[in-house]
Amino acid sequence: MKRFFRLMILTGLVLATVAGVSAQPSSRLLTDATGIDDRSFNQAAWKGILDFYGDSWTKMSKRGKFYDVLTAQTQDMYIPNLMQASDEQYDLVIVTGFTWSDALIEVAPKYPKQKYLIVDVDWVGQPNVMEAVYAEHEGSYLVGVAAALKAVEDKVANPKFGFIGGIPSPTITKFEVGFIQGVRSILPKAEFVDYYANDWGKPELAKAQAKNWYDSGVYAIFSAAGGTGNGTIAQAKEYRVQGKNVWAIGVDSDQYQDGIYSGTKSAVLTSMLKRVETSTLVALKAVQAGSFSGGVVTFDTKNEGVGFSTTNPELSKAIVNKVEAVKKDIIAGKVTIAPTYAEAKAKGLVPSNLQASDN
Amino acid sequence: MNQRSLNKNLLDRLLSSDKAISISVVLLGFLCGTLLVVAVGRNPWGMYSAMLQTLTGLDLTRGTWNVRYVGEWLNASLPLILCGLSMAFAARTGLFNIGAEGQYIVGLTAAQFVALFGPQISVLHWLLALLAAAIAGGFWGGVVGWLKAKFSVSEVVATIMLNYVAFFASRWLTMLIPGTNTYRTPSFPATARLSDPLINQLTNGSRLNLGLFVVIISCLVFWFIIEKTKLGFELRATGLNKDAARYAGINITKGITSSMIIAGAFAGLAGAVVALGSFSYGRVLGGNDNYGFNGIAVALVGNSTAGGTMIAGLLFGMLASAQPLMQSRQIPKEVTWIISGLVVIFISLRAAFRIVLDKRAKKRAAELKERSDE
Repeated sequence: MKRFFRLMILTGLVLATVAGVSAQPSSRLLTDATGIDDRSFNQAAWKGILDFYGDSWTKMSKRGKFYDVLTAQTQDMYIPNLMQASDEQYDLVIVTGFTWSDALIEVAPKYPKQKYLIVDVDWVGQPNVMEAVYAEHEGSYLVGVAAALKAVEDKVANPKFGFIGGIPSPTITKFEVGFIQGVRSILPKAEFVDYYANDWGKPELAKAQAKNWYDSGVYAIFSAAGGTGNGTIAQAKEYRVQGKNVWAIGVDSDQYQDGIYSGTKSAVLTSMLKRVETSTLVALKAVQAGSFSGGVVTFDTKNEGVGFSTTNPELSKAIVNKVEAVKKDIIAGKVTIAPTYAEAKAKGLVPSNLQASDN
Repeated sequence: MNQRSLNKNLLDRLLSSDKAISISVVLLGFLCGTLLVVAVGRNPWGMYSAMLQTLTGLDLTRGTWNVRYVGEWLNASLPLILCGLSMAFAARTGLFNIGAEGQYIVGLTAAQFVALFGPQISVLHWLLALLAAAIAGGFWGGVVGWLKAKFSVSEVVATIMLNYVAFFASRWLTMLIPGTNTYRTPSFPATARLSDPLINQLTNGSRLNLGLFVVIISCLVFWFIIEKTKLGFELRATGLNKDAARYAGINITKGITSSMIIAGAFAGLAGAVVALGSFSYGRVLGGNDNYGFNGIAVALVGNSTAGGTMIAGLLFGMLASAQPLMQSRQIPKEVTWIISGLVVIFISLRAAFRIVLDKRAKKRAAELKERSDE
């Protein structure tokens, strides 16, 4: 019976589209083995889908009728899963992350009428693929400015700053060099340390490194390392409880909640926001409006694709105002930020002994 | 003979046949899976129509037919069968090869290297890659066999450790290749790939490839070595009773080492089939593919025979490739793991069936005795 209804709805959809009435398009999210509850990328993409259909995590009433998710257990299932979704004729098929790019490059030309969205990739180059990329260096610049201003406000002598990355890649490099340029715009002589865990899911590595750094006088650590970064927050929490003035900086979503140690006090000073949900939302709206087209779409500070969070009350109003001013300067083009290590190094904006990678 | 004793005989016969037990535990696994789907409030028909689509390509939900799904099913089964053969071969010699995953990884890595740096001559190129994978896998398994035979090092511990060594060594070595990032190497030349235009056309563009023949030949080789050669006889004798085999003049050291070499070679081939069949570039592994571990279950269900392992591999391959189709029908993806997990648990209960069987036999003997006493 349920299937009958579903068929009815689908038929209705087709008819509605033919008649030119704007109905809700159907969509499918394809994920890697971690699924939609990875507290990161997939989860954010899923949130965008839920927002579009007016559902929420606790109420997914349209799941299975308009949208659903399909998890691939192994990498060799990426291509079959993409082809299956295309066979089943969803209005939009969504994948996240560069690990999907090879599979999509192979499948997209075989289904020229199928629409795809890939997040964080800009080299697929197919007319039916929308590619969403983020200006991570802009958001990271903003949290760098915020952390440096906080150090100035707290009158910390010679504050040092740290960066912890997951697996080195050009994307993670954007976080690192953006952050450093942000800090240096306020404190031109600030010292930096960086570390790559080579893993997205090993918080113990980040925690050990963070302890080491905080002990040696590092004031704030920015982690762009998925689950690994939770180790930094855990260590910052421990030290703040003991009364040390150190901070962790969150990434992707607002991690203020993860850093709370008593009342409203959180060890996460601010978070660099990368709103992956914006791209799924924008793509779905484009499909609905019939204005979907392939090509690269950049999400930056201008269209609120990236930003910084202001939830922590210890990030003073004065600092927030100053960072907002910087943000306006970035939008206006008055501040430009080098997105690659090579460029930043050539301009002398970052130290030359970083472990960042441009390929 | 009355009806009751006839039933008894049928049950006894069922319990004493390994094949019958395998089939019945699989059915039992499916039954539990079905009940589970009902329990979470989904329609179990979705599960079966997904399996039907995997096996036949027929999508009853949409009324379409696409043979590609059959090709993908067979393709998913290939590494499972090969890793199953690896586990099964060692098991026949009384060894527990939990290292098929590591042997798979070294095979995959060797194949990727030959694919990128080998001579680009058609046929010869992928043949060399397969050979390199078999040798690498055989070496990885052989080391364990030798340690076991020479120094009585537990093969379980040694293989588990070597799985980690293989994984990280593969990552490190692959990243040394020029043009490799943290995820992939440059693309393979076409001559290294196992894909075949005819198979591709027949299966409507699935990734099924020449690995199919590698698997068929491997099954035949397995059967031939175990059943038809002196080596196979010696290995089986060693597996059944090591001490008796030694007294019979069989060289156990040599036997254990060669058994692990052959087992490793099968797993190594599985790595090559996945690397050259399903991918067009070398991978820097981010996690285990788990074919080696799943091979353990395949061999258990297949009773460690060539034919049984092949059928069991096709079954597990079917579950793996039906999983996305089930998700598409809103059946939780975990159901397939629960089914395969239950099948393995039930298979391990074979020992329990034996106890039941023994008890029944004793009881009947007592009954017969009573009757003859009357």
